[in-house]
Amino acid sequence: MAEVFIYPATSLILSDLVARFGHKPLGTALSVRERIQTAGLDSPPLEMTPDDAKKGLRWAAVEVPSGVRGRMSLFGPLIDRAEAAIIVRNPDFAFGCMGCARTDELVEFLVKQKKIPILELDYPADEEEGIIFVRRVKEFLTGLGGSS
Amino acid sequence: MKEETVRIAQLSCGPEYSGVQKEIYTAAEAVGAEVFFPDLSLSDIRRNFRDFGLDVKSGDLKLAIARAVALVEGSAEADAVFIASCFRCAEAAIVRNELRRYIHEHSRLPVVSYSFTERTTSGTLLTRMEALTTIARRRALLARERQTGLTMGVDSGSSTTKAVIMQDNEIIGTGWRPTTEVLTSADEVISLALEEAGVTREDLDAVGTTGYGRFLIGERIGADLIQEELTVNSKGAVFLADCQHGPSTVIDIGGMDNKAISVLDGIPGTFTMGGICAGASGRFLEMTAKRLGVDITELGPLAMKGMGEDVPMNSYCIVFGTQSLVNALAEGHSKENVAAAACHSVAEQVFEQQLQEIDIKEPVVMVGGTSLIQGLVRAMGNLLQTEIVVPHHSQYIGSVGAALLSSGFVEKS
Amino acid sequence: MKETIPPLYAGTVTKYVFIESYKATPDDIAARAYEVSGRVMIKETCFGLQITGEEAEVERVIAHIRAFDPAHIYVKDRGFPPGDPRRCRANLGGARPGYFGHEYEMGFIRRIAIGLEELESPSERPVHESEQKETEGLSVKRLMELIEQEA
Repeated sequence: MAEVFIYPATSLILSDLVARFGHKPLGTALSVRERIQTAGLDSPPLEMTPDDAKKGLRWAAVEVPSGVRGRMSLFGPLIDRAEAAIIVRNPDFAFGCMGCARTDELVEFLVKQKKIPILELDYPADEEEGIIFVRRVKEFLTGLGGSS
Repeated sequence: MKEETVRIAQLSCGPEYSGVQKEIYTAAEAVGAEVFFPDLSLSDIRRNFRDFGLDVKSGDLKLAIARAVALVEGSAEADAVFIASCFRCAEAAIVRNELRRYIHEHSRLPVVSYSFTERTTSGTLLTRMEALTTIARRRALLARERQTGLTMGVDSGSSTTKAVIMQDNEIIGTGWRPTTEVLTSADEVISLALEEAGVTREDLDAVGTTGYGRFLIGERIGADLIQEELTVNSKGAVFLADCQHGPSTVIDIGGMDNKAISVLDGIPGTFTMGGICAGASGRFLEMTAKRLGVDITELGPLAMKGMGEDVPMNSYCIVFGTQSLVNALAEGHSKENVAAAACHSVAEQVFEQQLQEIDIKEPVVMVGGTSLIQGLVRAMGNLLQTEIVVPHHSQYIGSVGAALLSSGFVEKS
Repeated sequence: MKETIPPLYAGTVTKYVFIESYKATPDDIAARAYEVSGRVMIKETCFGLQITGEEAEVERVIAHIRAFDPAHIYVKDRGFPPGDPRRCRANLGGARPGYFGHEYEMGFIRRIAIGLEELESPSERPVHESEQKETEGLSVKRLMELIEQEA
């Protein structure tokens, strides 16, 4: 089983397909969960604190806006862990964790820097593309080994 | 009776991820307000975003735009709007400015915009939130155009404390002192004002306080009205400048921070407050006066005689500003020119850092102690290409506003 | 957002289960989940279920319900436990941002369902593996040809 970074990191479709075909999807829900379950943070709603923006300095310089650095503290550790990645190009209307275009650009770049197997594709525009989309995702994930 | 909760719609990108959303909640809660996110469906988001026409890439900014449109069109209801995005983000700064302008022009909702860092605290946001709630909650009070009865206003600023006694729409007594200990300074200015007016504390029908020390003093003297300086000062400004109807812009360069307020019919619509450094405040002019060996009251006339253009000075930071002051004098520039350059530099900082955040509409009224420094007023007028109005008693603006507004409590008491 | 919220359900996971099935309503799926719920907590929602518990337990329940209509039941991790006041619509005044993302993807989930069905039982329908269109734009050569044709 490989740990597969998904982009958009909030995608239901990618999360589902990765798990369905036997791997572990790495999405920001995992990072948020970690914070929600940590005692004593008291910084609702996401329990992210100014410390997260400082942790984000590992991936983005201090001149980068705090929201980008804060978001990077969610994405960065996932990218570190990732053994493979599936990227949907130009996802439209992605909000929240994916709601900052500058962060998204940096995330995509850092994933590509890692030299791990990456599948890039677009959201299907019709049924035919849906069939190809699922087939390609499955082929890619099967190629990563492990059960499917 | 407990006042109704004011509902502030938040349009933002990034506060949750910068760890400052809690600070926003806390500031709002402290002034009896509640922050919420206008509800929309995905199809509303698509439509509103497309209709607005600013094609940004970030999803959360699209959401902010869509929510703003919903507020203006009335499909979502709020009492006030708070726009916030990350400091240093160009994409968000464009959205922030355009949304602020759009809401201001197309609705009666008071709006404030703010760019935060991870170090933003609820304390920084408090006065802004308080002003938003005051405008939403006290529209009727803010609409008051005449002072009635015998009232007093006390303004406890960071540099000076002022008091004004008013009777039947006229100023009959004033008091002014540098702020040392908040309550002591207040007692002194109150005594001075009462003495000049020839009345006693017991004669007063109502009292209002404003400025940094408003809560402390207000509690001590049992004020009827305790209100932040943004709404009070703009009210005082349009009252004294006799522009209570229609649009106007109020600029108050204070000792610690600056206010720029876009006013319509005497009620603030959008405003900014702050400034990055004391280099853009009256404090820098105080230092300049000291360095030039003149009293602060002489700095203005001195600057009027000088030409600042040839003296390089940048008070973006008060330390560098002071350095350029020392250098300029060492290079042999005249006191007059240095004074003019210092005035220009402060005006320029306010212009660059704050006046970009509001819409400048004439008349532009300058108030506060610094409005007495003619050189500063001239510099600001040059930058804005307009004749600046400095009303009489402009240094007492907060006290006048507080005395005027507190007369709303005369009939009640 | 007044109260400090203690970390709820520490050590558990929560998963969304989205149901877009013509064979079963969310109620049917919920009933099926309750059959084997064991130590997990199940919350029914407008789009399906949220299941909270130890990860292995949650996976077991999900495998059970997914088998009911595999191509039309979708699962995703959630950071918050169900009903968390920090994310609750009633407290925020509007939907949490993640909701819109789900709404967006659910808008064309049928295309994924067809892809999944096709894997299970390949039909005769021809699918052109032209991949997804690379939008390279028009080549200069082709543009010249077009201009000449029009001239």
